[in-house]
Amino acid sequence: MKFKWTAEKSLFLTFALTAAMLLMTVCGLFAVPAVSRWYSALSGRGPAGTVLGICLYLSLLDGIAALCILLKLLANIAKQKMFVEENARCLRLVSWCCFFLAAIWLFLGWFRFIARCVGIIAAFAGLVVRVMLNLLETAIAMREEQDYTI
Amino acid sequence: MPIIVNLDVMMAKRKISAGELAERIDITPANLSILKNNRARAVRFTTLEAICEVLDCQPGDILEFVREEK
Repeated sequence: MKFKWTAEKSLFLTFALTAAMLLMTVCGLFAVPAVSRWYSALSGRGPAGTVLGICLYLSLLDGIAALCILLKLLANIAKQKMFVEENARCLRLVSWCCFFLAAIWLFLGWFRFIARCVGIIAAFAGLVVRVMLNLLETAIAMREEQDYTI
Repeated sequence: MPIIVNLDVMMAKRKISAGELAERIDITPANLSILKNNRARAVRFTTLEAICEVLDCQPGDILEFVREEK
């Protein structure tokens, strides 16, 4: 029997990956104290471990929020609710989550250069999501135009 | 929108109900309601042609341009 890749299977895979990512992010919350302690021990005296801990908590909470919104978006797609204002709102929130994450890591970038790279990647992801949002908003407007053409 | 649809006026003149008109021009009553209540963004030529055919009128009898005050 030949295996056929379909849109439903693709959606299911995305849903499963997002759920797995959410689970890992939630688990990551429990690892933050250990990471902070390890970083404190590594960097010697000073508030570096605490700063990293706070930033990690904020990043993970931000990530959880973004992943929950993505799950909501995927549920809407599964219900065939594609070109609706709610999805545009979801994408807007996800893009803001990315920019918030970028802000956190760019702040950390003052102390460690590598954190700046994470910040730039997050900002780029936010930008990509924003372009997708603009695309969706245009599609919604076109759909509305189509719906109101008699 | 500066284009006003005067469909109800013409329907009253021809004494035709919304349900009957919708059926004769082959559109749903919901879409006819959108058209009648000036909520439509565009009208297809085929729809306009069918309306004119059934109501025995010209497009200008149904559509009116009213300049918007700025």
